[in-house]
Amino acid sequence: MASSSSSMDRVSWRAQVLTRHLQQPSSSHSSVAPVLESSVCLQYAPPELSEKFDFDVREMRQLMDGHNIEDRDWLFGLMIQSKLFCPRNSGGKVFVSPDYNQSMEQQREMTMKRIAYLLDRGVFEGWLTEKGAEAELRKFAFFEVIGIFDHSLAVKLGVHFFLWGGAIQFFGTKRHHDKWLKDTESYVIKGCFAMTELGHGSNVRGIETITTYDTSTGEFVINTPCESAQKYWIGGAANHATYTIVFSQLHINGKSEGVHAFITQIRDANGNICPNIRIADCGHKIGLNGVDNGRIWFDNVRIPRENLLNSVADVSQDGQYLSAIKDPDQRFAAFLSPLTSGRVTIALSSIYSTKISLAIAIRYSLTRRAFSVSPNGPEILLLDYPSHQRRLLPLLAKTYAMSFAANYLKAVYVKRTPAANKTIHILSSAYKATFTWHDMKTLQECREACGGQGLKTENRIGQLKSENDVKSTFEGDNNVLMQQVSKALLSEYIAAKKKKKPFKGLGLEHMNDSCPVIPAQLSSSVLRSSKFQVDIFCLRERDLLNRLASQVAERQAQGESREYAFLMSYQLAEDLARAFSERAILQNFLESEASLSVGSLKNVLGLLRSMYAMVSLEEDASFLRYGYMSTENDAAVRKEVMKLCSELRSHALSLVSSFGIPDAFLSPIAFNWIESNSWSSVHN
Amino acid sequence: MADNSISGKTDQILVEEHSYVRTLILNRPRQLNALSLQMVSHLLELFTIYEEDRNVKLLILKGEGRAFCAGGDVAAVVKDTTDGHWRLGARFFWIEYTLNYIMATYNKPQVSILNGIIFGGGAGASIHGRFRIATENSVFSMPETALGLFPDVGASYFLSRLPGFFGEYIGLTGARLDGAEMLACGLATHFVPAMKLSLLEEALFKVNTSDPAVVSTIIDKISEHPPLKAKCAYHRLDAINRCFSKRTVEEILSALEKEAANGADNWLSETIQSLKKASPTSLKISLRSIREGRLQSVGQCLVREYRMCCHVLRKDVSKDFFEGCRAILLDKDRNPKWEPLRLDLVSDDMVNLYFTKVEDEEWEDLKLPARPSLLAASSMAKL
Repeated sequence: MASSSSSMDRVSWRAQVLTRHLQQPSSSHSSVAPVLESSVCLQYAPPELSEKFDFDVREMRQLMDGHNIEDRDWLFGLMIQSKLFCPRNSGGKVFVSPDYNQSMEQQREMTMKRIAYLLDRGVFEGWLTEKGAEAELRKFAFFEVIGIFDHSLAVKLGVHFFLWGGAIQFFGTKRHHDKWLKDTESYVIKGCFAMTELGHGSNVRGIETITTYDTSTGEFVINTPCESAQKYWIGGAANHATYTIVFSQLHINGKSEGVHAFITQIRDANGNICPNIRIADCGHKIGLNGVDNGRIWFDNVRIPRENLLNSVADVSQDGQYLSAIKDPDQRFAAFLSPLTSGRVTIALSSIYSTKISLAIAIRYSLTRRAFSVSPNGPEILLLDYPSHQRRLLPLLAKTYAMSFAANYLKAVYVKRTPAANKTIHILSSAYKATFTWHDMKTLQECREACGGQGLKTENRIGQLKSENDVKSTFEGDNNVLMQQVSKALLSEYIAAKKKKKPFKGLGLEHMNDSCPVIPAQLSSSVLRSSKFQVDIFCLRERDLLNRLASQVAERQAQGESREYAFLMSYQLAEDLARAFSERAILQNFLESEASLSVGSLKNVLGLLRSMYAMVSLEEDASFLRYGYMSTENDAAVRKEVMKLCSELRSHALSLVSSFGIPDAFLSPIAFNWIESNSWSSVHN
Repeated sequence: MADNSISGKTDQILVEEHSYVRTLILNRPRQLNALSLQMVSHLLELFTIYEEDRNVKLLILKGEGRAFCAGGDVAAVVKDTTDGHWRLGARFFWIEYTLNYIMATYNKPQVSILNGIIFGGGAGASIHGRFRIATENSVFSMPETALGLFPDVGASYFLSRLPGFFGEYIGLTGARLDGAEMLACGLATHFVPAMKLSLLEEALFKVNTSDPAVVSTIIDKISEHPPLKAKCAYHRLDAINRCFSKRTVEEILSALEKEAANGADNWLSETIQSLKKASPTSLKISLRSIREGRLQSVGQCLVREYRMCCHVLRKDVSKDFFEGCRAILLDKDRNPKWEPLRLDLVSDDMVNLYFTKVEDEEWEDLKLPARPSLLAASSMAKL
């Protein structure tokens, strides 16, 4: 604390500053050329005037977005040019974003109108009918851009194309593809996806909806046997969807064959709910109100036998159950594995959400000043405060790291082979959880970093918090997913030990090498070397996996089941899943870095990678808890974080400019916030 | 003027003083006031001086004779480039684009009186300013794609900000707009009948402030809202949005042809014709430029256009600009031989090259002057 006399000095000095501000407004209110007169009033200066650009922003954007740059810009332009996307003028610039002040019903109708517009402009062409990595990447690019505008719009499309359409593609066979895919792509029908029930979410195998087969008519009969079996959160069901995929237990001749998927019509073309279907609204939500989530009950709903999506199992005309996969566990796994696309897209969109909020908060922090360090001195830019740098720049580095990891995940996904299914499943689970948590943390920090301005819906960040919150639980609860990651790693471990074979895949090959040795003294250059960073991340993963395996084995030796033993080891499992994710992200980052030739771009990426590694070391208590680092080393890491903050400070603007998000998709405080809040703007 | 040609005075620009107002007159009526190197240099000098001059509050820009401005004097640029070095031609565009940027970020209102043709560079010299007055004599066009060039002078900024995809339409086809249509789409801020122009100028001469609201009120009193003619393209905005929003030039053309198959009319066939007559390379780089411009600031647009322009002058990909000038301006056979001849022969790589830096050690990106007044300027131009 300052002494009382110096704090009094400060008070009187603040008063002087305020007085000067208050004495000035006469000139800015007079009609004589207000824009010409310089005054001591605060002026907005675009950060571009003072910040330097050490590397080519276009090149960095190409690296980050990775593909379909021109297509992305086309779609951004399509949205900016249509009134449907609510263009608003503020501070001499146009901004687009949904009107969140509309009622839930209005927001839902706007979502559908926007879909119709994009459909009309050909955005969805080939989303389901074109095959190959190129078409898939273009679809991802468009989906990312749409998510930058509004999460509701993305989710509504995601349900229709990726869940409904994806289920037909992956669970269905040719007869389903021929009948449904084209009509889905052109919105002749509107699909939804009824998996979750009131009583069962992540545990899909436990759902209670029951389907039987009626041999006499050749039809399936679907029923909701109890209230907990009502389908819940079904996006599109409350207002618009005409068809749904129903997930249900299949009972054949009194025997349960497990969960299967069926196509069922729920509305006619005019939007009237079909007989034997009951639908209710899930109501207003904390966000995502542009999506009409609903609840569905089935009362002896009859559907033709052909509506079973039969890629894994079928029922013959005479009621025999047929499946090539005899083991119900494997059958279920084969069934759900294609659903990873949802997790992939959520992971990708979370990164773009962090990009929006960081671009806004960092641009604001480069134009907004607060307090001076010397009496009568100029006020200081927010981002020139080391503490403000510490709040935002590590998050920026993480977004860069995760952006490269997301690109890797996307590349693996579009080139997928059946052999890669396990990797995709585990990686998409780990990244979906890690990225969405990073997103929520970043949004909160950016919201606070913008102060009161962060509260305004027009400034996006605050609203994004509620729009994106759902990402941490839908398509797999993050905590459940992370436990699954550790469980899968444990299985790998047990299998490798049992078969006495080396580890292969999931980046676990380092387990085959001797244990890395961490230098006792960590100098700055050691801390910034990729060798050290990889070593210590691998050491943590390796040790945690060993610990988890031995703890589970110990408990099993005491007579506990493997499941129970794992469940009781959740703390280690949590640490391990984090260690796995962070090590994988670091490696993805290094691979992207390695693809670049020496130059300014590579240099700044080196700083970002080191920052990513350092904050990970700083934030995860595991390193101290299990003794991978001494407390002295921890202090060295903290010091390095500070140093990296000050080095990254000068690149902050170019780093957020490289995100490739057009100004119109940011917000007024990212630009001339004085003009956008001026009295003259009140009347416009 | 020899060495001082860049900064020397020329009678191609006349200046009239009325208290706080300066009227700049483009005075090259026999060339329809086409902008020469001297003119853009002189204008740049005047704009720079007046910005600092506290006795100047308002600028009026108009043309002598029946044109406002027929564009940049590209015939001269082509001659310079052919006789000498492409860098001579590039110098013209460097100065012209700098002038466009100064106008777009100017801190005093510029009133452009568009009583006649406004082509290409003429649009660049006026649309970036705060007030654009159309009359019944106005004829606006961005004819560059027919000339083997692309809409430059910051057109990728102002065209991309017109309603819907109207900017793509006029940028690719070179379609002509009259004064009423200019007002409707936002290229003009006001419409004043030609016979009332002297009244308008008299009223403006009395202005003693740079407050755009005051200037606007004065012009509002004299301006009118003429009805759109029945055959004007702005009535076709729905079809324009459907077709010109497509991702590629090929898709735009096929969308237009599809519309024509459902019922041909003059407008559709003229539109298709003008696209088919234009340089395929020009069409592709123009579309890409407008699309990029939609997401960029005016400064970024001009820097990009300067890159594109230098590639054009260096014939890095295509010689269409020189062929277009030969066919339209010099030999006047109006039959340019484009190369590549068809859209499908213009590859993505060829288009991409126009957007890269020029590989020449002495070449540099357009360096725009620092604009301390950028703060207020963003609201001056009202596009």
